[in-house]
Amino acid sequence: MSQASEVLVRKLEGLEKMPTIPVVLAPLLRYLDQPMEHVEIQQVVDLISQDKSLAAQCLHMANSPLFGRWQTVDSLRSAVLALGLQRMRDIAVSCSVLTLLPKDAGHVDPIVFWEHSLGCALVCRQFARKINFPDPGKAYLAGLLHDIGIIAHLWILPLEFAATLELAQSQHIPLHEAELITLGVTHCETGRIVAERWHLSPDLTTVLGCHHFLDRAASHRDLVALVSLSDLLCRMSGLGYGYPEERQVSFTEEPGVALLIKECPTLEAFDWARFTFELEAYMEEVHRIVNLLYRPQ
Amino acid sequence: MSTPSPAPSRSPEINAGPPSPHLVQIRDLVYRVAGIFQPDNKLRLLEDRCGRRMQVLGVATVREYYECLTIKPIRQAEMIALLNEITIGETCFFRNQPQLDALRNVVLTRILDARAKLPLRHLRIWSAGCSTGEEPYTLSMMFLEEMSGKLKGWTFEILATDLNERSVAHAKHGSYGDYSTRNLTPYFRQKYFTARPDGLQVNAEVKARVSFNRVNLLDDARVAFMKGVDLILCCNVLIYFDVLSKQRVIQHFYNNLLTHGYLFLGHSESLYGVSEDFRLVHLPSATAYIKAEKRQITQQVKI
Repeated sequence: MSQASEVLVRKLEGLEKMPTIPVVLAPLLRYLDQPMEHVEIQQVVDLISQDKSLAAQCLHMANSPLFGRWQTVDSLRSAVLALGLQRMRDIAVSCSVLTLLPKDAGHVDPIVFWEHSLGCALVCRQFARKINFPDPGKAYLAGLLHDIGIIAHLWILPLEFAATLELAQSQHIPLHEAELITLGVTHCETGRIVAERWHLSPDLTTVLGCHHFLDRAASHRDLVALVSLSDLLCRMSGLGYGYPEERQVSFTEEPGVALLIKECPTLEAFDWARFTFELEAYMEEVHRIVNLLYRPQ
Repeated sequence: MSTPSPAPSRSPEINAGPPSPHLVQIRDLVYRVAGIFQPDNKLRLLEDRCGRRMQVLGVATVREYYECLTIKPIRQAEMIALLNEITIGETCFFRNQPQLDALRNVVLTRILDARAKLPLRHLRIWSAGCSTGEEPYTLSMMFLEEMSGKLKGWTFEILATDLNERSVAHAKHGSYGDYSTRNLTPYFRQKYFTARPDGLQVNAEVKARVSFNRVNLLDDARVAFMKGVDLILCCNVLIYFDVLSKQRVIQHFYNNLLTHGYLFLGHSESLYGVSEDFRLVHLPSATAYIKAEKRQITQQVKI
């Protein structure tokens, strides 16, 4: 790492400007981590209800087909009963991440990054189910949080990050490549620092730190590969960072596929075309729900 | 404890309830048989198209209609009738903008790079199943726009073929009404068309780059002549063919494309399970197929 990058990393390690992990989130995750027979629905409802705005957002999200709901639910309790605890956790975590976005990030529209994260989380979960990945719930969380490093950049280096995004947009290159040019570090390094600061589990920390650099992952490589592929698919399908990356990708030749096939052999005959076409429905609904939550009328 | 109860906002599809499982079965059947996929947000559209066919057949439920497509003697003809409904009204200028953008911004550059090794600076594009000509004329305009940019010093020709003689005659005439020209920007409208009483007439400059012919894609002798092609577009044509016919056409495409060649299919159209000769590639908001390089190995394994 260059000297400039080291200075930057020290600056990032402060992270004073960035909000800490949302208040409701940590106890909720801890509570839902215990065996299901010990979990009380009312307790979960109470935890989420501590934050009225979060509760309202959760309810909107619970009524989206993204979470498989077709009948209107009008209270958190009925949402938990109808969707189950795991989906409610996914929803609560997703809405919590939204609260992390800075309200003003200069010329950068921060909502694009949440839209990408939510889309990636949904794609991770669906991809995990399709290839019989052991833990689709974990895949969702990992997809949702994988770009937390970008949110940290938005807080700590707003001007530098705006310049980075501009470079990526004008050159049509992946964002992490532009970050390396302008910042000397990528949102992966920053994400790892945030993950450690938040005491996220080792698998999530590895995903945040390695999703663009699979070879750097010493463990949890299958989860990292799954997130990396889902992330790439989102970016190639128009659910990226608000600009097209002008390149060609062959998923069957991506290193993540070779790695993941060992864990999930069904991936060998995976229908990438159909999965890509299915994303069209996600994109429309993700865009609708994100606008609804972030820009309420 | 009370919880906030904002009026949850829903998209129209959700208000109408979950899709019928038989509709999802029809979607999956259409994909399996024809290779064209209707994502969840298009299921209402599919339901509407099925509804039209159900009315014609006097069928009351989606479940019964699914049987018409699977076990009734009319199933093959009915599948074609449904596919006609699904693709109806698809033909227009600049029909699939993300695909055209990917072609212009990514694929064209890659083709030109690959061709740089060859002495002839000339591109051949084949619009296979060109219908009434909107697609090849769109390509002609797009490539003409690049003549002072990426294609400076190059020439190009577009071979446009269709089975239907009337479509080919319409295409050669080159006059179009409001529906076909609905996606045309004022820039293209002004630069490449002339307003006539019967509609917008494609200018000679655009026409000169396109040659139309009536060709059956299953006519091995005719298709074998379409050699040395850099790019093939074949949108919503293969969906009407059975697997064996598809494989035959794909084989021709494989043989006719140059090593670096690309094959573009229609929106949400796939070759999955039909051919291993081509490899799927992802472009920005579009997909395409390139020639796989393992044909020889595959054949050796078979032996």
